[in-house]
Amino acid sequence: MSVQASNKRQEEVGESQRGVLRPVEKRTITVAVAGNPNAGKSTLINAIAGTKLHVGNWPGVTVEKKEASFDYGGRRIKLVDLPGTYSLSPYTQEEIIARDYLVHERPDLIINVVDATNLERNLYLTVQLMELGIPVVMALNIYDEAEAKGYRIDVQGIEQMLGITVVPTSATRKSGLDELLQSVLATADDPAGHIPQQLNYGEDIEAAAQFMAESLHKSHPSLVDKYPKRWLLLKLMEGDGNLQKEVNIGQEALLDEALHHLKRAHGEDIEAVMADTRYSLASGLTREVLQKPELRKTELTEKIDRVVLNRFLGIPIFLAAMWITFKLTFDLSKPFSDWIGTMISGPFKRWAEALVGFIHAPDWTASLVTDGIISGVGNVLVFVPVIFAMMFFITFLEGSGYMARAAFVMDRAMHAIGLHGKSFIPMLLGFGCNVPAIYATRTLENQRDKTLTALLIPLMSCGARLPVYVVFIGAFFPSHAGTVLWSLYVMGIALAIMMGFIFKRTLFRGEAPMFIMELPPYRMPTFRSLMIHTWEKGKHFLIKAGTYILAFSVIAWFLLNLPWGVEHKKDSYLGQVGQVVAPALKPLGFGQWEAGSSLIAGLVAKEIVVGTMAEIYVKKDEDKKKEKPTFAEDLKEVGISFAKASKDSLANVVSTAGITSISADESAEKAAERNPLREELKKQYTPLGAYAFIVFVLLYIPCVVAIVAMVQELGSWKWFGVTFVYQMALAWGAAFIVYQGGRLLGLGG
Amino acid sequence: MGVSDMIIAAVILAGAAYILYRSIWKKKGHCCGCSGGSCDKK
Ligand SMILES: Nc1nc2c(ncn2[C@@H]2O[C@H](COP(=O)(O)OP(=O)(O)OP(=O)(O)O)[C@@H](O)[C@H]2O)c(=O)[nH]1
Ligand SMILES: [Mg+2]
Repeated sequence: MSVQASNKRQEEVGESQRGVLRPVEKRTITVAVAGNPNAGKSTLINAIAGTKLHVGNWPGVTVEKKEASFDYGGRRIKLVDLPGTYSLSPYTQEEIIARDYLVHERPDLIINVVDATNLERNLYLTVQLMELGIPVVMALNIYDEAEAKGYRIDVQGIEQMLGITVVPTSATRKSGLDELLQSVLATADDPAGHIPQQLNYGEDIEAAAQFMAESLHKSHPSLVDKYPKRWLLLKLMEGDGNLQKEVNIGQEALLDEALHHLKRAHGEDIEAVMADTRYSLASGLTREVLQKPELRKTELTEKIDRVVLNRFLGIPIFLAAMWITFKLTFDLSKPFSDWIGTMISGPFKRWAEALVGFIHAPDWTASLVTDGIISGVGNVLVFVPVIFAMMFFITFLEGSGYMARAAFVMDRAMHAIGLHGKSFIPMLLGFGCNVPAIYATRTLENQRDKTLTALLIPLMSCGARLPVYVVFIGAFFPSHAGTVLWSLYVMGIALAIMMGFIFKRTLFRGEAPMFIMELPPYRMPTFRSLMIHTWEKGKHFLIKAGTYILAFSVIAWFLLNLPWGVEHKKDSYLGQVGQVVAPALKPLGFGQWEAGSSLIAGLVAKEIVVGTMAEIYVKKDEDKKKEKPTFAEDLKEVGISFAKASKDSLANVVSTAGITSISADESAEKAAERNPLREELKKQYTPLGAYAFIVFVLLYIPCVVAIVAMVQELGSWKWFGVTFVYQMALAWGAAFIVYQGGRLLGLGG
Repeated sequence: MGVSDMIIAAVILAGAAYILYRSIWKKKGHCCGCSGGSCDKK
């Protein structure tokens, strides 16, 4: 099975076969999976093909098309996950992606995933899909919820009225999938027998369409082959700007003539007339086939929302939810982080040293391995449990539907800065990693929203910044870990709102368009999907540790040890750079060259701030004359301490006392041995300076990958320039206020 | 330091630089594993 995301045109379909439907024989059956946002398209594909496409309980998770291939019944089927859309008009990026695919690549078949609990809205899209002249199979998904609500849906009724196959499915429970695939095969084998019914738009429109069809045949015969005929006619009549540009017949007399009568009868706005017709088709159909139970008790979702979306409680609840998330993240992950720390600085380091000695490598390579790679990568790996715990809770919030509420609650604040709640979704994604968040801005309607949102995303604290926070929090604020971490995330959001406000007054004048956020019902994410998506999010950080953090810690080691034979790291290349920037950081409370060097190195990826600090600060072992344990003893120690970590983690989460109770019974010496970096930091920084430092790390410019993503998505370096300037200024300003303000308040310094 | 040291150092550095280049620039900002970003696995 292979999963690919590629824009490659499907090879098999040659130019000559466009528009001609033939039975699909040996070749791959290409199936487009289309439907409304949040209907469960990605979940369905994951269930069928075993892929791991991102799923979340809010509209607009999938923004690019993704593919998954698999074999079924001796045939090869390629599923293409399209972004969810409400219609096929060309207004948002998702609509354009979905429609370009359907019209130009002409899949063999469309699976229209329909949310059975929202039949009417979903059928509006179905009506449009049926115009494409491609066989449609409807997956009546989320059928389990519809049944639980007591809905009775006349499946055969839909089949008869629309002339397509309808299969009730539940992607999360994996039911109905076989029937669905059977229908797909049956339809693919006889496409001509499965052409959907064409819906009647009423006399006037049909007459105009007829007239236009005839004249098009005469004047533009090539077009009729290139596009699905009925779709072409209807879209031209609607005055679809994109299509008119594509086919180049926007202003021609042909259109005027065909529409003349129509416009007299229905007014200028033909598009609205056609949309109305589609709506009435969808609602008429729904009335025919759907029976809702008469008396509906208030549903759980509504009850929860009454509290969670409350005008006054909404934002406090959001903040509280975040606080709990961070507290749990810490409690859950701390013992595992400590365990990894002990393992890396103990057994693992000894093994590596032994290995280097064994292959008789030059002496300096031993230092490269232990002081460079193990210190650099090891100190990042320590935070892998923290990152995974955080991703786990974020995945839970996404899957349950709370993230969509968070966006809704923030809507008013967002309006103040000229954006709407929909922009908050990419920003929330940024808590995982800024890079996909920047790509997710393409769900936003216009360029102004997109650019403004992308500019603010780097202020959302991504997972890579966690290691830096956690090292400093562990050293200076161990008993208030959750709260300090929370303060950083909240500061990121608050500053994003402030910057948005400033941008709105300067670079991006204008009002936010109205947007009605659709709120999905709450759902309990399944354990399996939680695990899969936590892994999908966290995996990226592991890959990073194995690639560019590894690579950079090697480079950093050289930069710290060149020119060859430098006495003190201060005089190395990296040290010299650090010394240059240090004076600028002095007013912020961290004027040490070490801080400057690490921050500069951190431009590659923010975890590297920690890795580099470890390389700089961690002293050579002053060979304590201790018996070195044997390999077997080491192995045993690894196992035992892991078991203890698991136990502690569980106890932490359950107990309210939290972390303090556990670290208290540990001797200071042992703690220093396990975490030399932390001890060194305590000597070098004041708590206030440390807090100013992590604030700076939160705000200064994002990593190079995010920068590249931004340049790609916004299409120019100009916006990167803006980001660079404003974030540097903001980071410096905020750290300055924290440090100097703190000193004025007598918080030490 | 001897010539052999220099060569080893140069090779290691070149390798590291290549990995860095590959994982950052070549993917044009798309990162494997980031949900949402695409990752071309062929
Ligand atoms: N109860 C139930 N929930 C489902 C079913 N299918 C999907 N879901 C849930 O619906 C939500 C949305 O699923 P996705 O697969 O992300 O939806 P999508 O259609 O890909 O959405 P976009 O990518 O935003 O267009 C998730 O919370 C799923 O767990 C189903 O058959 N039954
Ligand atoms: Mg999706």
